[in-house]
Amino acid sequence: MTHPTDVTHVPVRILPCGPRALLAEYDSIEAVMGVADRLRRAAVPSVREIVPAARTVLVVHDGGDTARLRELLGDVRPLDRGDGPEVRIPVRYDGIDFAEVAELTGLGADAVIEAHSAAVYTVAFCGFMHGFGYLAGLPPQLHVPRRSTPRPRVDAGSVAIAGEWAGVYPSASPGGWRLLGNTDVVMWDEARGRPGLLEPGMRVRFEPV
Amino acid sequence: MSSSQLKVVAWGIATSVRDAGRPGLAHLGRSRGGAVDVAALQLGNRLVGNPPDVAGFETSGGLVLRCAAPVMVAVAGSPTDLRVVGGPPLGWGAPVVLPASAVLHVGRLRGGARSYLCVRGGISGTDGAAVHLGADPNAAAAAHAAAPLPLDRPVRVWPGPRLDWFTSGSLHALVTTVWEVLPASNRVGLRLTGMPLVRARHDELASEGLVEGAIQVPPDGHPIVMLADHPTTGGYPVIAVVDPADLWLVAQRPAGTEVRFSRDRRAGTR
Repeated sequence: MTHPTDVTHVPVRILPCGPRALLAEYDSIEAVMGVADRLRRAAVPSVREIVPAARTVLVVHDGGDTARLRELLGDVRPLDRGDGPEVRIPVRYDGIDFAEVAELTGLGADAVIEAHSAAVYTVAFCGFMHGFGYLAGLPPQLHVPRRSTPRPRVDAGSVAIAGEWAGVYPSASPGGWRLLGNTDVVMWDEARGRPGLLEPGMRVRFEPV
Repeated sequence: MSSSQLKVVAWGIATSVRDAGRPGLAHLGRSRGGAVDVAALQLGNRLVGNPPDVAGFETSGGLVLRCAAPVMVAVAGSPTDLRVVGGPPLGWGAPVVLPASAVLHVGRLRGGARSYLCVRGGISGTDGAAVHLGADPNAAAAAHAAAPLPLDRPVRVWPGPRLDWFTSGSLHALVTTVWEVLPASNRVGLRLTGMPLVRARHDELASEGLVEGAIQVPPDGHPIVMLADHPTTGGYPVIAVVDPADLWLVAQRPAGTEVRFSRDRRAGTR
């Protein structure tokens, strides 16, 4: 289910980005998700890449006329969740920061698991490393700041939160997010036709195991 | 099944097997990858009769190969000292057939940063030192040698998207400064040094999508031009974008050489 809000005068700036790209800037992640969703559905033949980020949508195209793209980028209908395919990710809530998050939030262990696994998330965008999806929809009571010092190594499959975001580390890397648990799901597999498990617009649920 | 007609005796400097990469995955956090100078890979492949995007060797020199069977090869990209051990120098940009047991040596690069050694059939994979080739393309090799291209002309850029994050006059500074290529440059980006560019804004930019050729400016003011393995998003403002037709010029600048930018005439005035 989607929740389009009224089309009002949502601010957008379309910035030049060379002869084959446009970078549109918005004031919220909901505006980004709405525009990216409509761009994907429009399937404009000249489009090569659609890259949403926290406040922007980058569209890489074939260099031809951009009138249709500018129209789509300027027609902002914010979405607070996607309605793409749903992915379920089993989680063992045994992360190294789990106890600290329970304490920081004042919720206690059971309520952290309940809140994290009851939410329906949307992949707002991917970045940081390939296969890393920024998941929108983390309940506000779970918003905790990232660690002041990043860890030099976070294992693949670490289920993590930071600020308004949830995510899963697809491969081992340095990282500063709070680690709630672990999953065995392979987030990125080069041999798959679509190598990333998570793509922008998909919905995600975490299931305690 | 592919056969192993080639064996790597020495990989040399920064050598890897690269095709044209895999565009279309930036929304998953994956940049194109593949050959940094795609145009050179494609030229090399055309010279030996291959489809343009199949894999060849990308090397900065020192690659040594032994033939187990006759193979046709061609080098494009940077000119290089190319010879069969015990034989005469071979030309740049022309297909040559090497006999079985020939040892091919890609020596020093002359002018550019990357040479592409393409093999008829393309490289379907490697297994240690064994190089597996694809099927014969059943197409004619080039009848004439290609002409080398001038590597030292200015690189055309398009202003934006974040020109307004810099002090006025920064675009002028970008296109009039003689930039020097730093040794830390790699497949991710070409790192430049010169008179630092000055930011007008010092707040944080939320990470945003990056294109190949984007000229990102970190707080130290030294630009980085994004190449084939660039991150798909970044939080440093992009002052300008290299014209796609000139990306190969950036890909071919070795450390210690100079780079000049010029404003693309087609970019609007601002």
